[in-house]
Amino acid sequence: MADSTYRDLVRKLRGGRISRRHFMQSAAALGVSATSISSALRANPSYAQEASEVVFWTTHTEPELSSLQNIVDAFNAGNSDVQATLVQVLGDETDTTQLMTAVRGGSGPDVYMLDRFIVAQRAAEGVLQDLSEFLGGEDPSETYVPFAWAEANFQGTPFALPFDTDARALFYNIGMLQEAGIDPAQLDIANGPITWDSLAEMATQLNETDADGNFSRMGFAAYTDQAWHYTYGFAFGGNFFDEAACEVTPDDAGVVAGHQWLYDYVAALDPQKVNAFAGPVAATVTVPEEQQVFISERVAFTITGNWYLKTLPQYAPDIEYGVALMPVPNEGDESATWAGGWSAVIPQGARNPEGAWQFMQHLAGEAGQRTYLEEVGNLPTIVSLLEESSLFTDERLRFFAQDLLPTARNRPPLPVGARYWDELTSAWERIYLNQEEPESALAAVKDRVQPDLQGFCPIDVV
Amino acid sequence: MSTTAPPIRPGPFGRLHLTRSERRNLRLGLLFISPWIVGFLAFLVYPIVYTLRISFTEYTGFGEPEWIGLGNYQALLQDDLFWISLYNTLYYTALAAPLGVVVAMGLALSMNQPLREVPLYRAILYLPSVIPLFTLSFIFLILMNPTQGIFNQFLMAIGLPNINWFGDPAWTKLAFVFLAQFGAGQVALIFLAGLKGIPVTLYEAAMLDGAGVWSRFRNITLPMMTPIILYDLILGLSLGLQVFTQAYVITRGGPADASRFYVLYLYDNAFRYGKMGYASAMAWILFVITFVLAMLIFRWSQRWVHYENQ
Repeated sequence: MADSTYRDLVRKLRGGRISRRHFMQSAAALGVSATSISSALRANPSYAQEASEVVFWTTHTEPELSSLQNIVDAFNAGNSDVQATLVQVLGDETDTTQLMTAVRGGSGPDVYMLDRFIVAQRAAEGVLQDLSEFLGGEDPSETYVPFAWAEANFQGTPFALPFDTDARALFYNIGMLQEAGIDPAQLDIANGPITWDSLAEMATQLNETDADGNFSRMGFAAYTDQAWHYTYGFAFGGNFFDEAACEVTPDDAGVVAGHQWLYDYVAALDPQKVNAFAGPVAATVTVPEEQQVFISERVAFTITGNWYLKTLPQYAPDIEYGVALMPVPNEGDESATWAGGWSAVIPQGARNPEGAWQFMQHLAGEAGQRTYLEEVGNLPTIVSLLEESSLFTDERLRFFAQDLLPTARNRPPLPVGARYWDELTSAWERIYLNQEEPESALAAVKDRVQPDLQGFCPIDVV
Repeated sequence: MSTTAPPIRPGPFGRLHLTRSERRNLRLGLLFISPWIVGFLAFLVYPIVYTLRISFTEYTGFGEPEWIGLGNYQALLQDDLFWISLYNTLYYTALAAPLGVVVAMGLALSMNQPLREVPLYRAILYLPSVIPLFTLSFIFLILMNPTQGIFNQFLMAIGLPNINWFGDPAWTKLAFVFLAQFGAGQVALIFLAGLKGIPVTLYEAAMLDGAGVWSRFRNITLPMMTPIILYDLILGLSLGLQVFTQAYVITRGGPADASRFYVLYLYDNAFRYGKMGYASAMAWILFVITFVLAMLIFRWSQRWVHYENQ
C-alpha cells in the first residue's frame, strides 16, 4: 500500500504536477507513518500469536525431538482450547542464549525445556516465572523424586516442573572381556561393585597398541562418554557444595580422591597416548553414535547412562553387553552415581502463561513422562511412575530406575551452575592431561567460582 | 545540482558558513540518508553507549542494573581467566594476522598468473572462503581428527607424528591459526586487485635493467602492495582479537583453557553466567586494546608503507 502511494508521488513529481518541497514532505510523512505502523504492529503481541497457542522451545535433537513432538501431538489432540507448537532452537544444557535474547526482545516462548541443574541460575537471573501462583497452594514435592523437585526450586520458590531423569553406570562388553580371559561374572550386580583399582587392572589387560605404540584399543578410556568430573567426585564420596558455609567444595577430599585416581590411571599409561586415543571422543566432544568408542568396540568398559539401553541395540545390535554398579574406592564401600535431567519452565514475558501451565502439566505430568520413557528410555521423575512395575519389564532398565536412582546424587542446584560446570571441566581436562595435580587444579575451581556465588548467599537448597 | 564540490570555508569554532542552497542541499542530503542515520544511532551508537553504562553495573540482562562503579574493572584484573583469555587471543592474533598476509599474498600471486585457465584456479582458490566459518569448523573437526581425519592420515603417511590438534593444549591454538587461513581468499581478492593496479611499465623498465623475478617482487611488487598489506594487517588484528566461532564450535574453550579466547569468555559471561556488566567491561577493555594496537601499527606503518601519490 505504502509502495503504490510512493510510486504515485514519484509519478506526480516527474510530471511536474507537484513541487519538490511537496514531494519531500509527503515522502517524509509516508516514511514516518510506515515506521509507526510497523512498530505498532510489533508492540501488539496478540497480532503475532493467537491466544490459544503455546510456543514450546527445546534444544533437543533426535531421538528426543520426535518423542517431544509426539507428546505435543497427544496434548493437542486432547485439547481444543490450547494448541502447543514445538520449535527446535539453538543451544545446549548451559547455553540458553537464544532464550535470553528472545525474552529480552519480547519474543520468547511460552514454555522452554531447561536442563534442571541450570534452573536455579536462570531463576536467579530473572529469566523465569515463579510458578507458585499456578500451583495455587498445591505441593508437588511428594509427586516428584526429591532431588528433581529440589533442582526445580531456587531459594524455596518453584520455577520449573521436573521432566525426565537418568543415571550413570559401568557398561562392559562381554565378548571383549571373555576374549581377554576375564570372567564377566565378577561384574554381576549381585556381587556388588568392583573397586576402581580392579577396573584399572582388568582394563589394562585389554589395551592394544599399533606398530607406532599408539592405542588402537583400550580397556577403559577414562574420560569418554559420561566419565565426567562429577562422576569421579561422587563415585569417591565427594561433595560439591557445603550448604552451611555457602561454599562450593571442589577441593573436598572425595572429589580430589576421584580425580587423583583419574590422574594416576592416565599417568600409568602415558597421558599423550591416552589423549590421542580418547581426546577426540572425550566427554566434551559430540561424536556421532557410530564413532563412539563403546559402539565401535574400541573400549571394553565405559561409563554412560540408561539411554544407552536404547542406543546400543540400534547402533550395535551384535554387542553383548552388561551393566555394572559404578566402581568404589575400597572394597565394601557404597557405590555412588549421579542423576541429571530436564525440566519445563515458563520464561518471563510468555504471552500465554495459562496455556503454558496447562501444557506443562501434560508434558511433565504422567502422560508426557510415560511417552518419553517408552520412546527415549529416559527415566521419569514422578514417583508413582517409577513404582509402576509394568513400565520396567526390562531388567536392566529396572536396575537404573529402582537400584540406582533412589540413591543417585545430583549436581548442586546453584545460581552459578553453568560456571561451576565449566570450571570443573577445565580442571578435569588439566588433570586427565596430567598438566596439573588434582589438588591445585580443583582449588583453582573454587577460586574462580566462589566469588560469583558469594552474592547469592545464604542459599536454601530444598 | 552543481557539478563541482562547493569549497569548504571553515568559520570560527569550525562552523560552516553555508549559502542558502548549500544549507538546503545539506538538509536534503541528511534526509535522504536518514534511514542509515537512524540505523547507525539505534543499532550501533546506542548499544555502544549502553554497554559503557552497563559496564559500571552488576546486571544479568534482566531486572534492574545495580551500580558498582569500577567494580567490574577491578574484578577483571583479579580474574586469572581474563589474563589467560587475553594471552590466548594475543598469541593467536600475533600468528594468524601476519600469516594471513603471507597466505593472501601467495594466493593473489597464484591468481595473477598469465595462464589460460586462471579463472578456474581463482575459483578453486577462493572456494574455501565461501564456506561459512561455522561449517568450516565442523569440517575441520573431522579432517583433523587423530583417529579418522584425512589430514592426520596424510601427516602420518609422510612420516610425521599423529597430532591431536583440538585435544592437545600444545597444538590447539596453532590448529586455529591454520584453520583461519582458509578464509584468506577474501583478502586475496583485494591483493589481486592491488597487483592488477601496479603499472606494467614498472616491470618492463626493471626487466630492461636485468632485474630477476625475486628482485622485481622485492623492489616493485612488495613496495606497491604495502598499503594493502597494512589494510590486511589491521583487518587481521581486528578479526584475530575477536576470534570466537571456531572455538565455540570445536573446543568450547578447552582443552585445559587452551582456546578460551577473549570473546568466548566474554560471551560466556554475558549469556551463560548472567554477568552482563562484567562482559560489557570486557568489551570496553578489548576496544581499548584493539585501538592501541591499531594505532601502534599505523605509526609503525609510516616507516614502510609506500603511497604512490605522495
